[in-house]
Amino acid sequence: MLQTDVLNYGIAAAEIALAVGVCLVLVVDLFVRDKDRDITYLLSLAVLAVTAWLVAPIGMNGREVTFYGSFVVDPMSRVLKLFSLLTVAVVFLYSRKYLKERDLYKGEFFLLSLFALLGVFVLISANSLLTAFLGLELMSLSLYAMVAFNRDSPKAAEAAMKYFVLGAIASGVLLYGMSIIYGVTGSLQFDEIATSLAAGQSNYLSVLLGLAFILVGVAFKLGAVPFHMWLPDVYEGAPTSVTLFIATVPKLAGFAMAVRLLVEAMAPVAADWQSMMIVLALLSLGVGNIVAIAQTNIKRMLAYSTIAHVGFILIGFIAGSPMGLAASLFYSIIYVLMSAAAFGCIILLGTKEAEADQLDSFKGLNERSPWLAVMMLLVMASMIGIPPFAGFYAKWAVLSAIVERGEIWIAIVAVLFSVIGAFYYLRVIRMMYFDPPKRVSTDSDELVPIVAGFDVKLVFSLNALALLALGIFPNQLLALCTAAFM
Amino acid sequence: MITLSHYLTLSAVLFSISIVGIFINRKNMILLLMCIELMLLAVNFNFIAFSRYLDDTAGQVFVFFILTVAAAETAIGLAILVVLFRTRHSISVSKMSSMKG
Amino acid sequence: MAEQIIFYAFSCLLIIAALGVVVSRNPINAVMSLVLCFVTSAAIWLLLEAEFLAMILVLVYVGAVMVLFVFVVMMQDIESATLSARFAPNVWPGLVVGAISLAELLVVVWVRREGLPIAAVPEPHPADYSNTLELGKILYTQYVYAFELAAFLLLLAIVAAIVLTMRERPGLKKQNISQQVSVRKEDRVRVVKMEPESDA
Repeated sequence: MLQTDVLNYGIAAAEIALAVGVCLVLVVDLFVRDKDRDITYLLSLAVLAVTAWLVAPIGMNGREVTFYGSFVVDPMSRVLKLFSLLTVAVVFLYSRKYLKERDLYKGEFFLLSLFALLGVFVLISANSLLTAFLGLELMSLSLYAMVAFNRDSPKAAEAAMKYFVLGAIASGVLLYGMSIIYGVTGSLQFDEIATSLAAGQSNYLSVLLGLAFILVGVAFKLGAVPFHMWLPDVYEGAPTSVTLFIATVPKLAGFAMAVRLLVEAMAPVAADWQSMMIVLALLSLGVGNIVAIAQTNIKRMLAYSTIAHVGFILIGFIAGSPMGLAASLFYSIIYVLMSAAAFGCIILLGTKEAEADQLDSFKGLNERSPWLAVMMLLVMASMIGIPPFAGFYAKWAVLSAIVERGEIWIAIVAVLFSVIGAFYYLRVIRMMYFDPPKRVSTDSDELVPIVAGFDVKLVFSLNALALLALGIFPNQLLALCTAAFM
Repeated sequence: MITLSHYLTLSAVLFSISIVGIFINRKNMILLLMCIELMLLAVNFNFIAFSRYLDDTAGQVFVFFILTVAAAETAIGLAILVVLFRTRHSISVSKMSSMKG
Repeated sequence: MAEQIIFYAFSCLLIIAALGVVVSRNPINAVMSLVLCFVTSAAIWLLLEAEFLAMILVLVYVGAVMVLFVFVVMMQDIESATLSARFAPNVWPGLVVGAISLAELLVVVWVRREGLPIAAVPEPHPADYSNTLELGKILYTQYVYAFELAAFLLLLAIVAAIVLTMRERPGLKKQNISQQVSVRKEDRVRVVKMEPESDA
């Protein structure tokens, strides 16, 4: 079944290239002056492009393992890696304007992002508890540092500290679970763990305990209720371009982590983790959608909306079938696109003086820029899940997978909460179209101008239009996701 | 005779102490970091005990990496702590209330 | 018999030290208790024949990481950290959660003892067995990927720590050594020719 090459560097080419790229950016940035910082920016984009070129052919033809079984590539890893590269590139394109306005345009942002991306890659390709742990830490540690990256902001430092403490506790709990699983199965490798569990010789109670601890770790990293406490504070406190990063790429990594740790290694006890996951999914849907209504800060609102979307992603895991996992993957990718667009719009509307992080900043957007209002309308409609937008197909795929499994009540609850959730997205749309826009001053008629370069507007428009395009032609991407779990 | 269960019990006690510590020291960041170190120590105990009784060195290698990661984690955690201290001249969590909801 | 005495003595010491970390009112006492935890743990790890890790724990952990803790504790003023209420207003939830988790873990440990095939005490390794050698052999072969990743983690920690804490204060006066060294006589000294002055 496995083609266990002892050392096959070829299939790890993308990781090696990315690692070399990180070092290159680190060294080059030292010699770049502040006004030439674009060199670092372009170099980082070039690193992403080269890595994408190397990733594209790897793992197309089924599963391959190397480095003594600690590294794996398969069609799923290929899809996830390509999309995380794309997302990071989009994040960089959005962030340039934001960082420049706030004197944060430094090499460190790009460097830490690339470090985090390397961690994401390692996590996506992990085939042992050890590599999964190292990948996770590489990603998390970069994210902690990125949140605190604006050193003059007390809010950011506070958010970073909360994120760090809760993240470190979650890592500790996850590790405790890993140690128990290692103890009862005698192996660190996922396939061997699955074989050992299937043999059924290990004590059921211990396996269950280890499983529960691991699930807590996964739920924390995904941001599922009741392990979501960090999410709203970090989203609000971090600089918006960092929030944009945290809201997108790590979600793909979280999906991969759940697949590797739960679906692959813990397959023999799937029924147990699925029943635990039902609780997580329903709580996430409920808390996410209801608490989001009460928010006035749009970054916080999107944080709770993320929690609700995570609930949907988990429903695909509860379905458990290859179709359910494919639906979850599809949902994760669409969610990442929507989230990138929503935070991109916040960056676009913000200025040096005033962040556009309050709901009020969207008032009367239609008068200020009809085109941007239409684009934001697309994003919000997709988040609600109105056909023919991509968000609709994502929800549809997940729900049909769970209905096929016979758990119709979960589907009904999910739909109900989505309807409640539609309210706060519609509120943004209402503000954009029916509320009067902010003026420069109370007695003047002049609108507050939108200060954004053509590049950011173009990326945002393409991002939003992609949601429409993927909604009308979802089959290509859906086929890609289905092929990942065949 | 000292069996595997003895070591696992010791680790469980350590882990619980660290959980209690996290709950009652919510106010002081440095103490929270120390409780996290304690938790990782409990994990290391588990791995080493299993490694010994399974006669498999993989567990010890895992501990080697946990120690490395924990050192890196501590460095970053303390760096964030320093930033926090500089921006608000206090590391007490109880004074952190700028974000609610 | 000696093994049992060592195990129980050091375990008691470890648990007391761990409690010390959690409840001591002065951060410095907490750090010192944590150091004691690590040292006693190292002793118990020796019982488990993990000599290399026991050594590393003392050298790297106590020697470097805990010193870092002491630095940061000393940087902040201890008085305010000590005097401000150390404990959360309500200690009971913590104790309850801790008790529950302890009970759960113990149930699992003791219930499954019966079913574990590995409950037998393994034979001690022969005298010429080298734990460090064994770890080294697999660390650089079987775990080479993890080893490289650890290198990147440490690089990240260096970069992140510098990014977060290094700060250039505006208006700070400092020497530019290379400029000072490369200065030439012509830049500093000007030989002026003057007409001789006379009272005449």
